Amino acid sequence: MSADAPLLEVRNLKKHYPIQRGIFGGEVGRIRAVDGVSFSVERGETLGLVGESGCGKSTAATTMLRLEEPTDGDVLFDGVDITEYDDRELKRFRRRAQMIFQDPTSSFDPRMSIGESVAEPLRIHGMSDGNRRRAIVKDLLERVGMSGDDIDRYPHEFSGGQKQRIALARALSVNPDLIVADEPASALDVSIQADILQLISDLQEEFGLGVVFISHDLGVIRDIADNVAVMYLGEIVETGPTEQVFDSPQHPYTRALIDSIPSPNPRERGMAVELTGDVPSPANPPSGCRFHTRCPEVIQPEGYDFEQSAWRSVMNFRTKVTTRQIDLDGIREFVIAETDVTDPEDVTHDQMVDAIRSDFDIPDTLSDPEAESVLSDALERVVRDEFDEASASLAEAFETVCATDSPDMVRTEAGHSASCHLHDQSVEVEPGERIAQSDD
Amino acid sequence: MSDDPLLDVRDLKTQFHTDDGTVRAVDGISFDVDRGETVCIVGESGSGKSVTSESITRIIPIPPGEIADGEVIFDGQDLTEMSTDQLRKIRGNRIAHVFQNPQGALNPVYTVGKQIIEAIRIHKDVSKQEAREQTIDLLDRVGIPEAGKRIDDYPYEFSGGMKQRVVIAMALSCQPDLLIADEPTTALDVTIQAQILRLLGDLQDEFGMSIIFVTHDLGVVAEIADRVVVMYAGKVMERGDVYRIFENPAHPYTKALLRCRPGQGSQREAIRGSLPSMIDPPDGCRFAPRCPHAVEDCRDGDQPPMMEAEHPGHEVSCIFYQDGFDSTQLDSGPEGLSASEARTDGGESR
Amino acid sequence: MATGTDPDLTFEDVDWDAEQEHPLIDRSPVFLAQVVINAVIFGALIWDYFILNNESPTIEGLHYPAIGGDSLIGLGFWELRRPVLQFTTNGIEMTTTFSVWDVTSVEWLLMVVLAFGFFNVVVPLYQNQRMTAYYWRQFKKNKAAVASLVFLIVTFVIGFVGPVFLPPPELSLTEQYLPPMGVTAQPPGYAEPISGTLAHPLGTDHQGQDMLKLVIFGMRVSMQVGLLSMSIAVGIGTLVGTTAAHAGGIVDEVLMRYVDIQSTFPVFLLLLLLIYLYGGSLILIIALYGFFGWEGIARQVRSEALQKNEEAYIQASEAAGASQWWIVRRHIIPNTSSTIITAATLAIPAFILGEATLSFLGFADPEIYSWGQVIAGGRGDLRGAPWISTVPGFFLFFMVLAFNYLGDALRDSIDPRQEQE
Repeated sequence: MSADAPLLEVRNLKKHYPIQRGIFGGEVGRIRAVDGVSFSVERGETLGLVGESGCGKSTAATTMLRLEEPTDGDVLFDGVDITEYDDRELKRFRRRAQMIFQDPTSSFDPRMSIGESVAEPLRIHGMSDGNRRRAIVKDLLERVGMSGDDIDRYPHEFSGGQKQRIALARALSVNPDLIVADEPASALDVSIQADILQLISDLQEEFGLGVVFISHDLGVIRDIADNVAVMYLGEIVETGPTEQVFDSPQHPYTRALIDSIPSPNPRERGMAVELTGDVPSPANPPSGCRFHTRCPEVIQPEGYDFEQSAWRSVMNFRTKVTTRQIDLDGIREFVIAETDVTDPEDVTHDQMVDAIRSDFDIPDTLSDPEAESVLSDALERVVRDEFDEASASLAEAFETVCATDSPDMVRTEAGHSASCHLHDQSVEVEPGERIAQSDD
Repeated sequence: MSDDPLLDVRDLKTQFHTDDGTVRAVDGISFDVDRGETVCIVGESGSGKSVTSESITRIIPIPPGEIADGEVIFDGQDLTEMSTDQLRKIRGNRIAHVFQNPQGALNPVYTVGKQIIEAIRIHKDVSKQEAREQTIDLLDRVGIPEAGKRIDDYPYEFSGGMKQRVVIAMALSCQPDLLIADEPTTALDVTIQAQILRLLGDLQDEFGMSIIFVTHDLGVVAEIADRVVVMYAGKVMERGDVYRIFENPAHPYTKALLRCRPGQGSQREAIRGSLPSMIDPPDGCRFAPRCPHAVEDCRDGDQPPMMEAEHPGHEVSCIFYQDGFDSTQLDSGPEGLSASEARTDGGESR
Repeated sequence: MATGTDPDLTFEDVDWDAEQEHPLIDRSPVFLAQVVINAVIFGALIWDYFILNNESPTIEGLHYPAIGGDSLIGLGFWELRRPVLQFTTNGIEMTTTFSVWDVTSVEWLLMVVLAFGFFNVVVPLYQNQRMTAYYWRQFKKNKAAVASLVFLIVTFVIGFVGPVFLPPPELSLTEQYLPPMGVTAQPPGYAEPISGTLAHPLGTDHQGQDMLKLVIFGMRVSMQVGLLSMSIAVGIGTLVGTTAAHAGGIVDEVLMRYVDIQSTFPVFLLLLLLIYLYGGSLILIIALYGFFGWEGIARQVRSEALQKNEEAYIQASEAAGASQWWIVRRHIIPNTSSTIITAATLAIPAFILGEATLSFLGFADPEIYSWGQVIAGGRGDLRGAPWISTVPGFFLFFMVLAFNYLGDALRDSIDPRQEQE
């Protein structure tokens, strides 16, 4: 135990779930739920872990507490690696690190009075004297704003907000150093969220707790976190002090996420940069930068010059060609549905090409003639069902660093870290290629 | 087209009879929806906003539910007077629903195409092939890539956001006059929510339908609403133009809702207390027990009638807007004049 | 360091390094009482089996000469036994000694089960009175179930207390085929119709045994079979089901595949084989039903436990450092209790019927008074003396029905989730 080590330091944490098939359970792939995340939390500090559903933030929480065994990586608690702990040491660690869950209703055993539930950690960690437990629980309930007389009531007799207060009391009961809160306010009505968040930060201040606060809600993170780490598909894409990250986001994903929060000003509607598509599967994450399949700012290869939005569309098309996810029969049927043609045989190649272009929002001609010729050639090949050739020529002509190389986490000009090729020294970015971000 | 509103809900009361007593989920609310406009019903859980939306086409479970009173005039006809058979011809045809959970709206054992084709053929006399072509067209319009291929996919093959698009396509299949969307984006991520909200706006421009959008999220309201109905504990607290609601909120509840949105740092303020019992609601204004400005008169009699607040069309149910009261008192902080009179027992009542 | 009674103790005061040295022992008075009672029962059992001669009764010194004995003819059913102290004078025994309570293996088992039931059902219900009151309010709504409960309690009490005060039914060649009270019939062997009398309220069978006594002694057998087989089956089923669900993986696989194998096993044939080899003693039947009747319960409990396993409170307990065994015992078993109790109430009638079936077919111990045997005995006289088969049949029917009603009502009422609505 070293005094200057951070309370919690996570290094290159990975959690993969094997996908098993067949009677012998052979591994046919793995879901990379958490794929190399690193961060640290000091005493008295709140780290906000934010991301969309399926980005691995909850898995990161359970893995760093060793509620699930990490696949790889280290978790240093007070400078000591907990992944090496035996059962006895792990139990001692469990006293010092507590967790709060999203659903206040299901996190209480309905057959136990809340007094029993709050006292459970005390009992587990060896306090066998019922009177002492009762004294502690009564005091705790009062500290979280409940009444000591509530001790014999059952969970169903409380509202969601009250239950979340009691959950905080339970987490505090064994005097922990670290609290991991997994979406603790998401199930609550917005009108009482602020109360719970306030209570968490008050208790944190009083007891000098380290808090990892997990949420999909950027607003909540902004209110409570000192530092924030933005996760996408099992990786942290940007991390830094909360104000800095929110005021000058450096990763296109963070920018898109912040833009997606509906503004409470009806005069600002429709201003958001829209992120196309869905989050890819963590079983088969994209090569290079994992965000490149949706990134509105994906970097154009050298030598081309056309609009960023068209480039984004061409990239979408390229991805589908490579994975052979373009269904010609379906497009033919679509053409029939849209036009006067009735016989599939009568659908011309031009009509097919036009349909594909409109499907991917690719303009009729690209402004860059060289790019246009590559693209129209590839489209023609696709319509002739020559996917491999189309894929090869597209790959050769439209190679982008975003799809080939995985970006490193680097310190950006704003002062905090992000992992995006736009911040690479080696990648030359022309100013016009980036969508101008107004720092409003 | 007439000048009458497309939908006019008058004094609607929906109740649920339970072992513990009658839950007055919707207790006499009125609002209207014009053609081509979007009305947002906003409120916390338990405010009755979903029950309101379900009462319009009577898709609440009856029993224990019951529409106890009121009229729902849709295009000149009172839906509450209609038989279930007559209503069935309107549901899905002229009034379509989209729910929070797209999973529940799709049958997992049929392809999405089959389900939409069936929805079309229930209400329209078209051939299977025609219906299929319309379905591909619809799926394309709601932004599903490669609609011609995805039409034969099963619901599980779509992501949450794509599923919600399919559900919207199904709702639009008969070109309804009114689309009732009950928290359609709550289960989705923010980036997907932004896509769906934009989609709904585009589709409305294209089809010219009216939308009732039920949500708890004021950000979503600001994004999509023309007019807003703020509900609390089964009553309408305030209704009006979206700009008025956000820029000059009149009711203390609306003001409090705006103050408790996340992302405001230390400015953020919770609303004390919790929702009153819907079986035995408090006298006077339903919000009075939690209102920082409440005075004795607020806890007397019934919910105050809707009063005009400064601008025509902006109405509020608060006695401070009645003669003899000064609504500017509401602008002072909770510590202001009313603090001594406001209940100080605080805490969340059970 | 604060002591146990310090009301101002707060969580920051606790020295956890010292606290965690304590071994995790449950020192609640209820637990200790349970240990003591079980120790007494097992001590007595060992005393009975190893110290006492196998032939001698467990408790001597009490005996029950019949009031009036043979001198009073015609008391019929109402002939009671009265316990008196045995005494000897000058080495001469003043009364004939006969076995009083030679506790059988079935009864030993029953004592253990009743003690377990008392500590794990009655005591928790008493400790959580508010929850109990709620369950009762819910249960009360089902009137048929309340009637069933009353019927079963009365049956239970009579079945257990009755044989203590009543001498066993006796053969009587003079009182064969007497009809129940108030019934006039002409049974086989009688020249004229006769009427039943108060001496034998439910009549007598073809051997002159009092029907009411047969019913009461049969109640005891049925209750023993039902309770004991159920306890064994539910005990094993719960343990297997919860363990499989919570441990998962290979443990789950092995346990549940064994359940599959056992459920395809022809238990009835095994039963016949064992009865043929060892005779149809009551304990054998109870054990067979218990040890081969738990697969369904294990499956039900497992599927319920799997759902509960997903609940956040399990995860919360795990995150707090609880062991697997702690979680199973403190959270999973209590929260599957509605399934367990329902399975138990529905298993009892199944086992009672099973025993009655075996007795009816003549496989059971002829020494015991089983309803099945009585029904079988009367099946030749259905025309002349229908009460011999129908009276125990009637009780069997209502007992099974009552347990079914009870099971349904319990399933509906013992579910705290419903309270949330």
